[in-house]
Amino acid sequence: MLTCRQLSKTYRTERGDVAAVTELDLEVEAGRYAAIIGRSGSGKSSLMAMIGGLSRPSGGTVTIDGTDIWGLGDDALARFRNGRIGFVFQFASLLPTLRLVDNVALPAMLGGARDGAGTYDKASALLARMGLGNRVDAYPSEVSAGEQRRAAIARALINDPVLLLADEPTSDLDEQTEIEIMDELLGVNRELGTTLVLVTHNLALAEQAGQIVHIANGALVA
Amino acid sequence: MPWLLANLALQNLGRRKARTLLLIAAVAVGSGALFAGATLMSSIERSMAVGFTRMGADLMVVPDGALTNITAALLTVEPTDLVLNAGLVDKARLASVGRSAPQKIARVEHSGIGSHHDSVDLIGFDPARDFTILPWLVEKLNRGLQAGDVILGAGRDAPLGSQLLIFGRPHVVYGRLGRTGVGTHERGVFMASATLEALAGAIEGHGKKMPVLQPGKVTGFLIELAPGATSLQARFAILSTLQGVKVVSGDTTLSGIRQGLTSLLDGILVLMIVMLASTAMMVSVLFSAIVTERRGELGLLKAIGARRAQVLGMMMVEAMLATGIGGTLGVALGVLVMRLYERSLVYNLDRLGVPFVWDDLARTVAFAAGAIVLSVLVGALGVLYPAWRASRRDAYDLVRSEA
Repeated sequence: MLTCRQLSKTYRTERGDVAAVTELDLEVEAGRYAAIIGRSGSGKSSLMAMIGGLSRPSGGTVTIDGTDIWGLGDDALARFRNGRIGFVFQFASLLPTLRLVDNVALPAMLGGARDGAGTYDKASALLARMGLGNRVDAYPSEVSAGEQRRAAIARALINDPVLLLADEPTSDLDEQTEIEIMDELLGVNRELGTTLVLVTHNLALAEQAGQIVHIANGALVA
Repeated sequence: MPWLLANLALQNLGRRKARTLLLIAAVAVGSGALFAGATLMSSIERSMAVGFTRMGADLMVVPDGALTNITAALLTVEPTDLVLNAGLVDKARLASVGRSAPQKIARVEHSGIGSHHDSVDLIGFDPARDFTILPWLVEKLNRGLQAGDVILGAGRDAPLGSQLLIFGRPHVVYGRLGRTGVGTHERGVFMASATLEALAGAIEGHGKKMPVLQPGKVTGFLIELAPGATSLQARFAILSTLQGVKVVSGDTTLSGIRQGLTSLLDGILVLMIVMLASTAMMVSVLFSAIVTERRGELGLLKAIGARRAQVLGMMMVEAMLATGIGGTLGVALGVLVMRLYERSLVYNLDRLGVPFVWDDLARTVAFAAGAIVLSVLVGALGVLYPAWRASRRDAYDLVRSEA
């Protein structure tokens, strides 16, 4: 379902090139939960950004459901990202000027959803599923960090993605909230069959995964 | 979807109210200055067209040997038995001559106007080319000048629309001129050259044969200099090209003022364009900062599937909304400025008898619409480069650079 071949990422800095990911090969089967672990600076987030179509690799390919995503043009990649990939960031990533329901509906609207009312019904239902049924009209600043993260998960699911990427989604949350968020993500993986790739420092969370990918210095650790 | 992006743009403007208000205020000042400046310049040009032509011609071309009584303002030719061909100046195609207005003048007695032995100057002119008679029209019938119509100098009195018999032939008093202080002009009875030519038989019936009443003959020409030409250049060109003519100069100061003010208006136009360009640059700098400040959000939008055109569109809607509001407020500001102008300078000019002719409503509305459209364009152009650069960057770079 997800295949990375010889994937590399090098950042150019004033002090020279920095290799974040080096010729990395990876495969994740459809419907699986894969956890990517590694120390800070090991290249986990760079790898996730390349898989999610957010950062162009310096070399190699990323294939999702048979599509070489970095072979697509700008607009086609944007459409692919919009329709096939859901992304949950490691920080509060909601637009502050929009209500929670608008934030959740936004990817569908960007994708050209014609049924506005239907989209908003679906956004409300997803928020309800995340336990935010009574906060749909709230603005991000009016809800807690955990609730914002749940709303971000709802947003990632609005277009029924085949791949859900979560980059340390609970790093700044308390333990109880972290458990609740992980329950939601694992629930999506189990109940909807959405492939889940999660970056985490928490080994306990990683141990629940069907596949653990350990990265150090931008390469897989055997 | 467009509504959502527009709503997002509107909400973004509301996030930094002070900055947004300053941006709107800056654009409003630019737009207001542009609107008021354009309207006033156009009105001043119109007023100049009336006011300066009232100052008379720059030169007068008459037959060599004709006696001329030089006055401060060249408004009409002087009576003489000598004539020139009507096409004389046009055929010469002199570069230093801007406009030329041919005139015929016939000083007659027993015309039926005034007392029996009063001499009257009947002046024929070409309404399409005239620039020294019609600008003085202070009263007229609500229609164009027709054959058989006459215009009375300020020194003559008859109701508008009334019938005036000249050598027994009926004419209609079409209009009346204002006071000029030029005797021939104040006592004259003006009419289209064809109307005067039609009186030839009647005038000659009283025993006076006048060559000027023949078609194709004129008493002289009133000349307006071409832009940039001097009176001396035109005089030299006329005398070296046309035979049997004499050139009479008017007040050269007036020519200098006319040409100087035209240059001044052109200078103001350049200043307005520079001001508009500086506003566009300011908007661009401001939106560079806004895009930098909001790169995380733009990255997020790209991450959830916004296409480059959508990111670009959102930023452009935001800028165009702000500058459009600024442009509209600027027009309101411009109206206020013009009201102040009207109550001060225009009022004083009016008291001095200097005419100030406001542009008509349609042109003013066109200027207002133009100022608003230009403001919106300034916003669109100002944001284009920073937004285009942001839209080209990887979503992850944008998100990471803010984090």
